[in-house]
Amino acid sequence: MEETELIEKAKSGDKKALSEIVKRYEQTIYNFSFKICRDKNKAEQIMQETFYSMVKSLHQFDHNSKLSTWLYRIVSNHCLMMARKLKSRPFVSIDDDDSLFEEKFTADWSSLPYKNTENEELKRILDKAIQKLAPEYRMVFLLRDVEGLSTEEAAQVTDISIAALKSRLHRARAFLRKEINEALNK
Amino acid sequence: MINGKKIRCQDVMQHICENLGTELNSSKCKEIKEHLEACPNCQNYYKSVEITIDCYRKYNVELPPDAHERLIDFLGLED
Repeated sequence: MEETELIEKAKSGDKKALSEIVKRYEQTIYNFSFKICRDKNKAEQIMQETFYSMVKSLHQFDHNSKLSTWLYRIVSNHCLMMARKLKSRPFVSIDDDDSLFEEKFTADWSSLPYKNTENEELKRILDKAIQKLAPEYRMVFLLRDVEGLSTEEAAQVTDISIAALKSRLHRARAFLRKEINEALNK
Repeated sequence: MINGKKIRCQDVMQHICENLGTELNSSKCKEIKEHLEACPNCQNYYKSVEITIDCYRKYNVELPPDAHERLIDFLGLED
């Protein structure tokens, strides 16, 4: 069934249509939640809250964006709420371009087992690096570079200007690259 | 030249992070491109930024077993 038709059926209270939407997007939403919070239990909780919000407010969905973009907006808000609730340790400041781009050494990147996605050491390095980033920066990097949303869509999801999005994105890229570079040198 | 100064590696690295994946056509971009072609250090930097993104793209998790059923229950829906 076409997505537009499915949405209209779900809006009119068709539970099977709602279940079908859940089925189509649950993997994407769970995966994205995990990428933000790096915890499987929290990711499942965020996924449940996201779809609960979707069910409650689907009648407001006006087809002005893709359903996936709308869902990214809901899940992003739930991820931010979770991060604020947990009040984790302060995040690293990445406002200073000079320290972000200061290159004291370049590690041997060929030693990074980046083609082996199941490598536990690589996962540890990636988790550690991204957890130092404030969720607002994580979100922009993941939406744009990892999930592949356009700049406009990512700005719409995060409710910031395109200029602000680009600024956060370039800092997040540089920061993560720098963290991995340093981890490789240890 | 950026503001009358010769381009430094740091300027190129910043430019890479700002413009990754977009066409390098402006006059500033052309200068960056020329520097990049001649500078192994900046080439390595470019490659490492691409690898960074690629690593995060490939790091995915599967929905745990039963998570779908728990979700459907939570929402009061049926399959």
